[in-house]
Amino acid sequence: MNIARKICSIRYSHVQRNVHRKYRISSVNYESTKAETQIQEEKFDFEDLKVLERVERRKAAIPPFMKNVFLSIFNRDLLAYPEILNKEESTALDNRVSIIQKTFEDPNSTEDERRDVLSRTGMFGAPVALTDGGLAMNYTESLRYLDVISNDLQLSQELSDHWVCLKLLKIGLTSDNYQKIISDLMTGDSTIGVCVQEKISDRVLQADFRTSAVLNQHGVWVINGEKICKTQTKYVIVLCLTEGMKLKAFLVHPNASGVNYKENYVSFKDTPGTPLTEATEEQLSKTLGMTRLYTANLCRNNLMKSMKASVEYVRTRFISGKPLSQMPTIRSQIGNTLMDIYASESAEYFTAGLLDGYMDPDAELEVAMNFIANHAQSQILKLLAIQGVERPRECLHLLDEMRKLSFRGETLENVNMFIAINGIHHAGRNMANDVKKLRNPLFNPSFILKKIIADRNQERDEPKLDLYLSEDLHPTLKKPSEQLEYCVLRMRYIVESLMSRYGTDVVMASTELNRLAEASTEIYVMAAVLARASRSYCIGLRNGEFEMKLAACFVESTKDHVKKLLLDIAEGEYINLDHFRINFGKTVFENKGLLVEKPTARVFW
Amino acid sequence: MNVNITRNILRFRTVNINLRRFKSSETKVVTYDPFVNKPKKTKQTYLEVIKMFEDQDTRRRGHVEFIYAALSRMNEFGVQKDLEVYKALVDVLPKGKFIPVNIFQAEFLHYPKQQQCAVDLLEQMENNGVMPDSELEQMLLNIFGRRGIPLRKYWRMMYWMPKFKNLSPWALPDTLPDNTLELANLAIQRITSVDPDTKIDVWQTEEIEASIDKTWIVSAQSRIQKVLLAEQPPDIPLVIKGPFNVYLRDQVVTYFLLLGKTRPEYQDNTDTDDVSKIQKPIGIPGVIGKVTLPQVKCTVHEQDDGTIVAVCATGTSSRDSLLSWIRLLEKHDNPALANIPVIFTLIAPPADVSLYETDIVKNENK
Repeated sequence: MNIARKICSIRYSHVQRNVHRKYRISSVNYESTKAETQIQEEKFDFEDLKVLERVERRKAAIPPFMKNVFLSIFNRDLLAYPEILNKEESTALDNRVSIIQKTFEDPNSTEDERRDVLSRTGMFGAPVALTDGGLAMNYTESLRYLDVISNDLQLSQELSDHWVCLKLLKIGLTSDNYQKIISDLMTGDSTIGVCVQEKISDRVLQADFRTSAVLNQHGVWVINGEKICKTQTKYVIVLCLTEGMKLKAFLVHPNASGVNYKENYVSFKDTPGTPLTEATEEQLSKTLGMTRLYTANLCRNNLMKSMKASVEYVRTRFISGKPLSQMPTIRSQIGNTLMDIYASESAEYFTAGLLDGYMDPDAELEVAMNFIANHAQSQILKLLAIQGVERPRECLHLLDEMRKLSFRGETLENVNMFIAINGIHHAGRNMANDVKKLRNPLFNPSFILKKIIADRNQERDEPKLDLYLSEDLHPTLKKPSEQLEYCVLRMRYIVESLMSRYGTDVVMASTELNRLAEASTEIYVMAAVLARASRSYCIGLRNGEFEMKLAACFVESTKDHVKKLLLDIAEGEYINLDHFRINFGKTVFENKGLLVEKPTARVFW
Repeated sequence: MNVNITRNILRFRTVNINLRRFKSSETKVVTYDPFVNKPKKTKQTYLEVIKMFEDQDTRRRGHVEFIYAALSRMNEFGVQKDLEVYKALVDVLPKGKFIPVNIFQAEFLHYPKQQQCAVDLLEQMENNGVMPDSELEQMLLNIFGRRGIPLRKYWRMMYWMPKFKNLSPWALPDTLPDNTLELANLAIQRITSVDPDTKIDVWQTEEIEASIDKTWIVSAQSRIQKVLLAEQPPDIPLVIKGPFNVYLRDQVVTYFLLLGKTRPEYQDNTDTDDVSKIQKPIGIPGVIGKVTLPQVKCTVHEQDDGTIVAVCATGTSSRDSLLSWIRLLEKHDNPALANIPVIFTLIAPPADVSLYETDIVKNENK
């Protein structure tokens, strides 16, 4: 068997290392113990030397983490949960958070008070550089602030959009223009909103994206079109088409002409706008994509709010002379919710760590992996069922908030498509040669034979676990880490079979891609959870052992789901029943009225 | 083996019997046919005749001949699709007498002539698509017993007929309406069932003052068709094609199509094996779909010979009524028709081609 492997295996070139690994007795050769070079960036503003720009301690650039997971390559260094803040930063952060918390957790505080405290703590200008009078907040800090601010959902949505837009302005505007506008935006009196989404087209010959901007005869860009807009803000960043097919963002100033707000929509008619000329499409995508990270944060905090409300309700109730909280079903629901919240929180801060800790981070996939939006909706329904009968109004309010959050800007399917196609794009570039051979088996018989032998473990759904993830985690997490490893190792095989089945048409296989995206999201969350629990336990955080249990339990339950999702993809549309489901849907669209007769109908008497 | 031989002989015998029966009915015996004398040929009179036959003789002599005569007269009375009539005919046969009482009778075709008669009756029901019911089964059981050939025929019919009954995707009501307008409505409904969104309107040409032909028009157009018509470039004429025939059972309805420009077929010559060039999505949250649109066929209305933008049937199928149809379409949410020329290519009545253009174009020419 080993000889065959030696001859056939193309992928496993580390045999020697792996053998060594099995018989070693010391940890001297652990790869993760290697010292890493850290690149320090210091920016000085030479005009005003009194204020120094914030020092960013970024490590050297790493290859994209989740994109590589599509190829079953796992960067084990990331299992050391990222630690971004140093002592001073952490203290400053805690100070600010406690100030904000005092107001936001006070149920009697008014919106003005809350806005005031945000303004005082400099939240409205937080992402702006220190030299421009801001706080030079990084993503980790922003998540921490949002955790508190999310008590006021409306305000937190507005603020998170504001932060994203500030970053976009920094990239898109020339420094002169940026300086002019920034002071107005940092006070909190006027915030920026973002308008991207449009109505679904109702004409055959109408493009999906219609808002356009053209230069008029006075040399001013004017915007025409209609956008979906949930909250009204003074400044608006509008995404427009220019020159027929290029996407460009435009800043619309307060009181600009031709802006008309309707319920849920805003229309622009010859509205003048400032183009963010410096921002390319890729930068737009990366910067605006951050709303996904903030949405995940808000979703999680909203779920937390619902959980607290349920716990509060259950505490004071009794059933059959016993406290209601002793009901195992209620306890398990609350436990489930806690697990989801823990998982989502780990993934968010993990993503923020990737964004803050490395040079030129390529983390668009990780940012888009909004695990909680998928789970929170179903979880909140179960959670609110505990108190739903007695308190319909409160429950409806919480549900509605969650619904709004989950659909903030885009639907889950769209995000999943983005994740999957991005992963497939990355994998496709690396595996193009193999896929081409797989799709033409008669031209490459020897390759196919090698492949059959090399993939025999994958065919049996028992990949050889040779990533050794447990080496980078606490030893008690060996079993969960092996489960994560199994999921990671399956990815390449699944992606490969998917691409060899569909070829370039894989982008059309939406149902399969949806599964792939969901699976990869859960793998990401599993990795984040394990890293966080291991870190907490190792450094002795309070309730570290509880975290370990949470993590192990989460990974155990999620692995089965991922396994099922990946197996469904491997088995194809006839066994996973997609073919039939799609056809049923098609029949419904093609027919009027009921497709099946009522059970009382008869053909003869 | 022996059984088979006896069966063969037996089958031969029944054929003989049948032959003899026809011989006798044609030449030797002149049968009295009570159906001929009835002045009004309706279901009621038909049933009256059967009743009369039952009452005139308690022994019911000649009932097989009577049933054959009755079966052949069914179309005349228009009762060939009526289960009740068939049941009344079966009821003519005496109960109990034909039931075999021993295995020999059961095996050797007890009362073959009567059994054959009942089978022929059931055959005629089947040919007319009349589904028997369980009461008929009970009647046949009482007459021939469960070993009877008519029962086997009945059971086979009840296996297949329910399976075929609802197979047609364009099911029609049991009795078709006599009114041509309603018939046309049914036909157009069935033609346009490809797009469930289709709206069918019945218009009167009186709405258009200039119309000569005062008749009705059944016009069908879906919202997608309206959009496709609105996208028709004004310099490419629309074409009216027809008349085409559509059959509703034995009735025929003629209909016309309004055809527009087709978009090219979707062609993709890229190598589906090369996955290295899969396009990366834009990824801006909220931006979905495509910025530019490929101009290719994508709806069911876009066929090879043109895009069907509307369908109609008119009361007279005349050119003038079609002209009114175009006018009415324009009036009902298709303003683009005012600027697009329409060509009539009607194959049937006069086989000429006439070019009809809108008033605006005409005025411009003047």
